[in-house]
Amino acid sequence: MRTLIAITSALFISLAATAAQAHAFLDHANPLVGSTVGTAPHELSLSFTQNLEPSFSTVEVTGPNGARIDQGKPQISGNTMRVGLKPSGPGTYHVHWHALSVDTHTTQGSFTFHVGGP
Amino acid sequence: MPRHWRCSRAFALAILFVCLPYSAAFAHCFVGARFFPATLAIDDPCVADEMSLPTVDWFKTGAIPSASEWDVSAEISKRITEDLGLSVGDIWSQIRPPGGPTAAGFGDLETTLQYQLLKDDTHEMAMLLGLIADWGGTGAINSGIGTPYSLLTPTYYFGKGFGDLPDDAGWLRAFAVTGQVGYQFPTTSYEVAQNAYIPQVLVYGGSIQYSMPYLKSEIQDYQLPDFINHLIPIVEAQFATPVANNFGNSPVTTGTINPGAIWVGSYFQVGLEAQIPVNRASGTGVGVLGQLHLYLDDMFPSTIGQPLLGGATAAPRKISF
Repeated sequence: MRTLIAITSALFISLAATAAQAHAFLDHANPLVGSTVGTAPHELSLSFTQNLEPSFSTVEVTGPNGARIDQGKPQISGNTMRVGLKPSGPGTYHVHWHALSVDTHTTQGSFTFHVGGP
Repeated sequence: MPRHWRCSRAFALAILFVCLPYSAAFAHCFVGARFFPATLAIDDPCVADEMSLPTVDWFKTGAIPSASEWDVSAEISKRITEDLGLSVGDIWSQIRPPGGPTAAGFGDLETTLQYQLLKDDTHEMAMLLGLIADWGGTGAINSGIGTPYSLLTPTYYFGKGFGDLPDDAGWLRAFAVTGQVGYQFPTTSYEVAQNAYIPQVLVYGGSIQYSMPYLKSEIQDYQLPDFINHLIPIVEAQFATPVANNFGNSPVTTGTINPGAIWVGSYFQVGLEAQIPVNRASGTGVGVLGQLHLYLDDMFPSTIGQPLLGGATAAPRKISF
């Protein structure tokens, strides 16, 4: 085990200058994951724990009738992804996202939020 | 183990790291939206670039009378290809029987070769095959901690998240289970020095875990404190049952049940579990197991966090719906 400890120490020292990045976890969303809001939002924003690579990160939003209501390619700045939403009515909205952090780690996820009464 | 042996091993591992190529990085144990943390008592169902340093545990052994045992271990896991991985680990143990001499030393060097059979993103399911080898003669044989013979354990691992349940299942979708089952057989059936048969053993275990990160990002964000949102409460269990060549030895199944929690960060995780023996032969009282686990693929994404082979040409795939 002393060997492993020595190697580990050497690795950390030699690679300490490497800029560390990681998987981009969804930190929070607006509207909140699983929340119920009174009126249909005009925009969905997703904030991640890491900066995103714009070319390979995307989001799809479908409205209560199952039709896609996001307005195409999201705007990505740093760790935040925003996409406009077409007007839609009350019901359950489904969000499905893919994210590529700037060091090429991929993550994905999906959630719902609700518009109208609980 | 002889000093020159350790130096040779260190050199081999050093060469391993020096030869790492640059390539596109992927994941540790992500399967779809599910992240399976590295479990403490059993293994997670993915090949990965990661390191457990250290894992520390304390417990009272099942000997009569019970001895107090400390173990400190380390393990490093490295992907050779995207689906093939190799782990190397070792353990240092100190066993202090009441009124008797203390035994201490290194256990046998352990290597594990693993192949990723399946990662099903939609159903959050992963399967893995592995061959664990405990290399006889590499540990402190005179202290009774190492063995002169080797042990081989072909093992099957699985993990399943329940995120594919209907939305109506709500918070239940944050649950996941993992497990493993292996058949351990020694390279010798009879140990002359101990005048004892060396049994073949079924080794198995599992975990049930509840992912607060999954709850927050996939089901409902309750805006809980950040510390809570990084926790994965977990119960692990591990067992060993002698099944063959067990003449003169105890036929009793031994094992522990380990309730605890794992805190998951971006670059590392910290786990702490109680160890509750399932019977007298497994120990007395409640032990403790703790681990610091490092995600090498996140800490060093362009160097040692890459598969040795096959990743360099894997450009990111542009996502389209």
